[in-house]
Amino acid sequence: MTEPVIELEHVEKSYRFFRLSDVCLRLDAGQIMGFVGPNGAGKSTTIRILMAMIRPERGTVRVLGHALPREQAAAKRDIGFVSEDMRLYGHATLAWHMRFVASVYPHWDTKYADVLLRRFNLQPDQAIRHLSHGERAKATLLLALARRPRLLLLDEPTTGLDPVARHEVLTELMDVVQDERRAILFSSHNTQDVEQVSDQITFIDRGRIIDTSDKETFLDRWRRLHLEVPSGVTLPQLAGSVDATVSGHIAVVTTQAYTSDLEGAYERAGVIVRTVQRMTLEEIFIATVMHNRREHAA
Amino acid sequence: MNGSVVRQLILKDLYLVRWLIVGAIVAGIPALALMPASGLTSYVGGVSLICVLIILNIFLVMSGVVQERKDKVLLFALSLPVSSAQYTAAKVIGNAIAFLVPWIILTVAAIVVIDATRMPNGILPFWITVLVSLLLYYCILLAVGLVWDATAAHVSMITAGNVSVNFLIAFLLGLPSVRTNAESQTAVWTADIITILGIELAAAVVILGTAVYVRSRRGDYV
Repeated sequence: MTEPVIELEHVEKSYRFFRLSDVCLRLDAGQIMGFVGPNGAGKSTTIRILMAMIRPERGTVRVLGHALPREQAAAKRDIGFVSEDMRLYGHATLAWHMRFVASVYPHWDTKYADVLLRRFNLQPDQAIRHLSHGERAKATLLLALARRPRLLLLDEPTTGLDPVARHEVLTELMDVVQDERRAILFSSHNTQDVEQVSDQITFIDRGRIIDTSDKETFLDRWRRLHLEVPSGVTLPQLAGSVDATVSGHIAVVTTQAYTSDLEGAYERAGVIVRTVQRMTLEEIFIATVMHNRREHAA
Repeated sequence: MNGSVVRQLILKDLYLVRWLIVGAIVAGIPALALMPASGLTSYVGGVSLICVLIILNIFLVMSGVVQERKDKVLLFALSLPVSSAQYTAAKVIGNAIAFLVPWIILTVAAIVVIDATRMPNGILPFWITVLVSLLLYYCILLAVGLVWDATAAHVSMITAGNVSVNFLIAFLLGLPSVRTNAESQTAVWTADIITILGIELAAAVVILGTAVYVRSRRGDYV
């Protein structure tokens, strides 16, 4: 088994009003992990721990085989990091930034940088302070991608982008992982973006990882069932059911453990299965978060 | 590789403040030119020289250290392959060079002006002590900028620093050794002056060293 690109074990970090609790995370080469959570869930804190910008109080962090924070400089040689709130030097041009980053990274790919300049329609001689939000986001992505990193850590890179810019960024990310040695951790609260590019999904809420799996498994095991419960029949509580709304004889059940046997189990209990709907990642995300919050509140 | 990254970070900081360095030197020249004149003109020249170095100090620390953090440019800088301690070292060295280059040029130029004009050389210890106090002020403000995020801390330090320069000048001019020798044709380095200079330089090194130590040991950079 090859060494994971990212390995977080029981990582904890406390702030006055927020606590990252027992975070365990693993990402292998060639994978794109969508790291999904509401605002303030702990996505940025986790990613900044992976960049050694924040030191955890407990737990171990290994990135590209390097123990952090001790070997952070070595690890960062192969990491490209982009954050939604990252800014560049406003008075300098994009060309200056490209020269600066190229002077630091021996693997800087000038040809690829030029390709990205054209694809993103960026003007290298324009000062950063004159760029729009979307252009600035694409500029920071260009500076990260042209380093040819083995790991891309992207903290909400598409937030605030118009649909075209978002499409350009996501398309480029899809291209990046054609190289099977590379991996991406992509945080967002936009499940559409995550669904489009990721093959692994991790949900985080209130500082805790609440579910993690590959995307297909997520989409396969979550279903919404519309049921008819005749008079005298009690809706059974089946394993995996995370939510049930009953209105008269109609019940809507959300399950995270769907198999074809589930419909049979309901029918054997006298319940009529009207429809079985697949759920979008956004619906799965919301159901997971709400279920997790109810369990913690109970 | 890391030595090279630190060097690139230092060069980056110097590039970004290059016009500030040039501006301080250019602005200091007319101030120095006024100093040999008599009366109010000489006073204006002296005060202008002090103001140029104070403004340079404030701009360097606020734009190069504080603003970089507040504007989240720090996220970009820390994404480069350096450790937090190496980043701090690069930041302090780059910023120190940016201040020391104009400070040394203007200090040497002040010595030359005092020595080569009809100004009494006896005033030299006073001016050197004032200029070294500005170096100390710079080190303190840089230390505060490195360690504290709060704007209130920076504003308080700038206010205290600016006020302290006035008190220091009044204190120095009140020293009998300075008053007595100010008009003499040769510079007299009395024990008072040597002690004050020693304290200023030692304080600058200790304060900045402590700030670098504290910053480097802090786990959270953003």
